[in-house]
Amino acid sequence: MIKVEHLSKTLGGQKVLNDISFEVATGEILIFLGPSGIGKTVLLKHLIGLFQPDQGTVIVNGTDITKLSQSQQLKIRKDFGYLFQEGALYDFMNVFENVAFPLREHTSLNYQQIRQRVREVLDMVDLDEVEAKMPSELSGGMKKRVGLARAIVLGAKVLLCDEPTSGLDPIRSRDISDLIRQVAKKIGATTVIMSHDVHNSFRIADRLAILNDGAIEVVGRPQDLLSCDHSFVKEFLKPAAV
Amino acid sequence: MSFVIFKNLAGRIHAMGEAIFFLKDVLKVMFSGRVRFAQVLEQMYYQGVQSVVIIILSSLATGVVLGLQGSITLQRFGAREFIAPLVALSLLRELSPVFTTFIYSGKSGAGITAELGTMNTHEQIQATRTLGVDPIEFLVVPRFLACVLVMPALVVISELVGMFGGYLVAIFQAQLPSAIYIRQTIQSIHYVDFFSGLVKAFFFSVIVAWICCYQGFFTSGGALGVGRFTTRAVAYSYMAVILSNAVLTMFILTFWG
Repeated sequence: MIKVEHLSKTLGGQKVLNDISFEVATGEILIFLGPSGIGKTVLLKHLIGLFQPDQGTVIVNGTDITKLSQSQQLKIRKDFGYLFQEGALYDFMNVFENVAFPLREHTSLNYQQIRQRVREVLDMVDLDEVEAKMPSELSGGMKKRVGLARAIVLGAKVLLCDEPTSGLDPIRSRDISDLIRQVAKKIGATTVIMSHDVHNSFRIADRLAILNDGAIEVVGRPQDLLSCDHSFVKEFLKPAAV
Repeated sequence: MSFVIFKNLAGRIHAMGEAIFFLKDVLKVMFSGRVRFAQVLEQMYYQGVQSVVIIILSSLATGVVLGLQGSITLQRFGAREFIAPLVALSLLRELSPVFTTFIYSGKSGAGITAELGTMNTHEQIQATRTLGVDPIEFLVVPRFLACVLVMPALVVISELVGMFGGYLVAIFQAQLPSAIYIRQTIQSIHYVDFFSGLVKAFFFSVIVAWICCYQGFFTSGGALGVGRFTTRAVAYSYMAVILSNAVLTMFILTFWG
């Protein structure tokens, strides 16, 4: 479970997050929708402790991560999976080494067990025969799948995804969105996704939140948001309404 | 105008403080024993191989030039046989440590900054943090330590090759007997000459590793930023080495001889 209370952050003199509060239940998928450059990534990075808030608390599974030291934060991140916009795969490692990296760092599994687990998660994200490939040999969609495999290989309790469909064509966007939902539900991860892809967000979210000017305009189930009267929300959700 | 100068100055002081904290973090990881030796060896191989050929060639050329200039100048004073001490002491005390550092920072140092900078702009350093691994331990310390271990070794190679260059000139151009050149070289070198050069090499290696790793770790601005920070790393390394060489030389001559 994630509980964020009165979170505020100013960067470069500009208030990026303004008194944000929300909760995500265990196993739930909450998607933040909002225009680009509105602070979605900054909010997501607060949830894993990459940013320290000016004010407010971020409680994940009972621990306020804003109060932890850097070394304590590193320890609890074993329970997190973070999918970066471009995958952020190590370009000096092949796909197998990238996915195996968290297992080598945080478990005492032997080579055979690591190999088996890597195959399992690569199967889960529908990737076959790519283990020996370098990230530079993969398409954008494949990089995101490998990034997702690496994020969940330790069995993430919390899954955070930053713009998972950006830069992908509509078919790949639909596939990766479906895959994230399927994987998140399978491992029971509490999931927060930042996106501006209205169409796919409506398809896979349990709840949606609209972020604008550093604040949450509205939170609710997809069908509730469609009937919302808020002018910005109506304007932003036009594609979904259509 | 004064606001711009103040802002610039404040930015530089902030960067200096950041660099000092960065070094503190690197040393903390190293002295707490969190060193990945396999990666250090891998980095030593890459950094050493990247620089060794160019260092051998430039050191040979430096030794030859020292020998040529020395033989012409010393011949005027009838002291041709002193080529050997001139070449050996110049290389051991000054030229090899400084030239090797310049070449190393231009090749391997720039490589370190470009690698870390590219990783940073592609969010790989942040990804390391999200995976529960300290990027200083995983990405910086192996490069830093490899630099500190490889550079003094390259300086010794440079000294030996440079003296060989001087030897070739002395034998084939100045017509000095080989045995005299070798004996004079050995007699002229005191332990302080050799170790003062190594002390300098060690300090320079820490400076280059610090500057290049720091610039790479804090690179921003995409591909353009990688180019800018890499150039800056090499330029700062050169300046820092020249200035610290002056201080170290004064210190060594005053307290060591």
